[in-house]
Amino acid sequence: MDDKIELKPPVEVRYREELEALEALDTERKPQNWRLSPRAVRTFILGSGDPLEWNGRKITVRKKYLGNDALVERCIITLAGSRGLMLVGEPGTAKTMLSELLSAAISGTSLNTIQGTAGTTEDMIKYSWNYALLLAKGPTREALVPSPLYIGMEQGILTRFEEITRTPAEIQDSLISVLSDKVLNVPELGDRGILFAKAGFNVIGTANTRDKGVNEMSSALKRRFNFETVMPIRDVALEKQIILNEVKELARENHMDMMADEDVAEILASTFHELREGVSSMGHRIDRPSAVMSTAEAVSVYFQTMLTAYYYGDSRMDMGCLVQNLVGAVQKENGDDLEKLRGYFQTVIRDKGGKEGGLWSSYYEARKYLR
Amino acid sequence: MEQLLRGQEISEIMKEPIQVICSGTEYDLRSSVLYFPIRHHSPVCSFHLKRAVEAYGPDCILIEGPSNAQHLIPVLVHEDTKPPLALYYAYQDKGGLISPEKEDYKCYYPFLACSPELTALREAKKRGIDAKFIDLPYMEILSGTARNRGIRKEGEKQTYNDDYLLSRSLYLKLLCEKTGLRDFEEFWEKYFEIQGLFQDTDLFVRQMLTYCGLSRFHTPDEELEAEGCILRERYMAEQIARASKDYKKILVVTGGFHTYGLGRLLKKEEEGGLSFLGEPVDLHGPNQGLQSVYPMAYTMEAADALNGYASGMQSPGFYHQIWKRLEAGEGPEKAYQDAVLHFLATSGKRARGKDESISAYDEICALSMAEGLAELRGKKGPGLYELRDSALACFVKGEHSLSTDAAMRILSRLTTGEQTGALCEEAMRPPLLTDFEKQCAFFGLKIHSTTEQEITLEIFAKEKHLLLSRFFNRAEFLSCGFAKRKKGSDLISRRDRSRIRESWSYKWSAHVTAALIDSSVSGATLEEAARSLLQRRFAETTGCRQGAELLVKSFLMGLFDEQNRMGEQFAKILAEDGDFFSLSRGFSHLAMLDELQDLYQIRGKMDLEKMTDTCFRKILQLLPFMGQTGEEQKQECMECLRSLYQATGKRAYAELRPAFLESVMRMLERKPLNPGIEGASLGLLYGCDGSFGEKIKAAAEGYIHGTEEMRSKSAAFLHGLFFTAHDFVFISEDFIGMIDGLLQRLSVEEFLKLLPELRLAFSYFTPLETDRIAGRAAALYGKKGRDILQGRTVDPKAYAYGEALDAYVWSRIERENP
Repeated sequence: MDDKIELKPPVEVRYREELEALEALDTERKPQNWRLSPRAVRTFILGSGDPLEWNGRKITVRKKYLGNDALVERCIITLAGSRGLMLVGEPGTAKTMLSELLSAAISGTSLNTIQGTAGTTEDMIKYSWNYALLLAKGPTREALVPSPLYIGMEQGILTRFEEITRTPAEIQDSLISVLSDKVLNVPELGDRGILFAKAGFNVIGTANTRDKGVNEMSSALKRRFNFETVMPIRDVALEKQIILNEVKELARENHMDMMADEDVAEILASTFHELREGVSSMGHRIDRPSAVMSTAEAVSVYFQTMLTAYYYGDSRMDMGCLVQNLVGAVQKENGDDLEKLRGYFQTVIRDKGGKEGGLWSSYYEARKYLR
Repeated sequence: MEQLLRGQEISEIMKEPIQVICSGTEYDLRSSVLYFPIRHHSPVCSFHLKRAVEAYGPDCILIEGPSNAQHLIPVLVHEDTKPPLALYYAYQDKGGLISPEKEDYKCYYPFLACSPELTALREAKKRGIDAKFIDLPYMEILSGTARNRGIRKEGEKQTYNDDYLLSRSLYLKLLCEKTGLRDFEEFWEKYFEIQGLFQDTDLFVRQMLTYCGLSRFHTPDEELEAEGCILRERYMAEQIARASKDYKKILVVTGGFHTYGLGRLLKKEEEGGLSFLGEPVDLHGPNQGLQSVYPMAYTMEAADALNGYASGMQSPGFYHQIWKRLEAGEGPEKAYQDAVLHFLATSGKRARGKDESISAYDEICALSMAEGLAELRGKKGPGLYELRDSALACFVKGEHSLSTDAAMRILSRLTTGEQTGALCEEAMRPPLLTDFEKQCAFFGLKIHSTTEQEITLEIFAKEKHLLLSRFFNRAEFLSCGFAKRKKGSDLISRRDRSRIRESWSYKWSAHVTAALIDSSVSGATLEEAARSLLQRRFAETTGCRQGAELLVKSFLMGLFDEQNRMGEQFAKILAEDGDFFSLSRGFSHLAMLDELQDLYQIRGKMDLEKMTDTCFRKILQLLPFMGQTGEEQKQECMECLRSLYQATGKRAYAELRPAFLESVMRMLERKPLNPGIEGASLGLLYGCDGSFGEKIKAAAEGYIHGTEEMRSKSAAFLHGLFFTAHDFVFISEDFIGMIDGLLQRLSVEEFLKLLPELRLAFSYFTPLETDRIAGRAAALYGKKGRDILQGRTVDPKAYAYGEALDAYVWSRIERENP
């Protein structure tokens, strides 16, 4: 038996207990083949204030998606209808996380996923063949290798299509008939080759607006989806909370016995927020870097610093290390971005350091690593 | 907690240990006074109010509203009066009662079809019982409110029946968050507007009293005092107590926030009726300043709380549809669903008309989503928030941005509502407003829509268009925000004078009516009001330019005789004006008006001769001293000189030309001279008499061959000269040579310093003329004009190679694609 710990267990494994409790206590109406009712799905994603009592235990359903509650509600209702759900937005706005949570809550799995790339072919979307079996037994169901879309239709579960706009437009279009007729034809199987989608099947696509692929999507395919635009977090306090939650979770998964530092999270949330918005809390106008200043990036910067502190340091967050990781996050696409970051430190962080002192001063002093 | 709260009754959510319903204000049909708490413009309140009237059978209805509008109730309930409408209150604080600044105050009291106050008034009429407004007169409310609080808040459009009292307390904000709803409006819609329709009136009123009581309980007394609430409640309670002596069953309809306050001030008497427990309000009396109130047609747009007016409910168009359905007898369960379907279908259809790709299937999906969302959110039917959410999910294709937002904008406009109200014939309204509407009807202008309209007027071809242009100009002059000229000849700034058509945009809004009501003190017709405003402005005018501009405006407004009446005043203005520029501009305006009389076919209607003559004499007195004008006013002075020259070139003023030229010469004699003005003046003189050419050359030579400082002024001289007589360059054989001489003398630094002014000077030439100058300049060096324009020749070898390459490519293309 493999006793090694999984690096990132899927959502349904991470929150197994919550899902089981919700399922057991769910008395609301469910669409066919849904594991949970729409209300329970909502509770799973947006949390319940009071713990659920199940099997003699109290289980708190934590709020997992912080941001726009109405958007989550719209997503759930879309999935219960006949159209697919397309989550679009800037990178790092938790589109994938939301799609995983929805899939896990509705279908019990978040793993039925197609990863869209420039090299994605129609076979990967529909089905392919096990050629050894094909040669041995001819075109039979046994020889057919089903794609996640095929599996979704066959089992009546959700299929996730990540980064859908990275795939060529003509490949994307192979989804059109599936989404409108809910039928997939496998001509090689003859009369038995028509697969009718079972109730519960639907598609959640995600697309990154930085790729600008959404505009090139055919209007025929667009019509088969309801679009939801996921906006970056606009509230610094909320962003700080997300960073802390994620970092704590990562530390737990990595068995790191180290507390997350709230002040550092606040500094990072404020930095990312201000660089993204182009204006500081003190009113300075800031040149916005072209790099993606997403919350996910902020979490990554924090966690890298945490790892350094945990393995090389004294488990205390070092501002120098934080700034070095920040440089790594900012200087990705454009050389000018580092200059912009330097300008941000020379104005905003200098003033905040002077006003707030403490950790902000150390943060400002660490500007020597901006190179 | 939020999960548990969802879908529950409001009474369970708002469990409070305190007593928030004042004893005596409970919904008791046996009581001699029945309190009915409302939220303004709320259909559900109107719905239950009608039921309450039916069940209670009152003999009098008392309504929260300034009592100085009592006499307008018959207009509000007249069958020809169509909401939305508003009472417009205005108060001119001439005695400084409100503040030492003696300001003017105004506010609106809007009524929509679904407003409970209007429902109460209509029910009273239907039953033939009395209905009364019981709040303080507007002026008294103002006087009882602290500066910048409540109805005196600065920088906002003031509405009498604001609902901010219900939504601002922190407790209620937290309650919204805890119930998982976005804001107060969603909270209100879920628990009152939608759920309330399914409840008994008894339960509904109890919940209203609980909610409003909580809202009241969490508002500090000092705040209520500063906002005038306490004073108003004292007055209203007094009126209720007084009415309780005359009537047996009184229904009191007030904002729910006040019910608690009223209940505290009133006590049931044993023999029946109520006694007032508070201190009576001392009124200031009727003769304090000028107070007026008029009914006016209003718009849904103005009534929308989302438009920043913070009054009433948001999206009144949506709730109007709900009310329409309830009035038509549709059950609560269908009213919201039908209204949502109506908005989805209408916005989808409109979006298609604007080339948005929204299909009927999108609308079906959106309706199904709205219903699904309502169920998920524990609402009894889809409301405004579900409507917006479903349209956002199903109508927006792609990333939500400005370019994909058209359908949402259409929906927003529809839910705001596009209706405008109408008043009955009997409505007491200022004659000015009646005149305005009559004229709009005469000209066929659309004033029953808030959509901006555009119209093009051929003012010289059609007399009606000329009259309409005058009408628009009068409306513009009265600043009522109705019409705006977009294109056409602008006589004030003297731009686009060659245009023979005018293009105007106009848009009716509640603001137009309010502005006309404000102007109604100035006259009974638009013409009278414009005339009296013109007279007032003229009386305040100090300069000739300003006065002449007013005359131009009066000309555009067709108020010709006004100019004759103003003659004496204008003479006084001229006598006092010692500003050359103001006089010159004024003179130009007057000369222009004189000239336009023929074009507008009004010759003989104005007597401008005396004014222009006096003005010109005054200019001649000042002109000799203008040679020393500083650099900052040089351009303006040059322009004035040129326009005076042009005016005196016309036949009507030809006799003034010699005196003008003499004055210019006197100016040139007074040294030192601004080189630009000197150049411009010499140019003008040259225009009259060719012999001045030599003087120009002499002056130019003087600058060119002068000391370094003088040489540096030569560009300014040329600038002035070319401004008035640029053709001199072509007439004078050797002038180009002189300029060439100047350029030769200049060092590089000097040249760079002069370059901007030189460029400016040569900007008065057309490209063709510049070519001619270049040709002559080239001739000085033995070349032709085209020589200096031609570039280097191409190397023949490179050219031959290019041709061969071209031929090869073509041959290959032809071979590959036969």
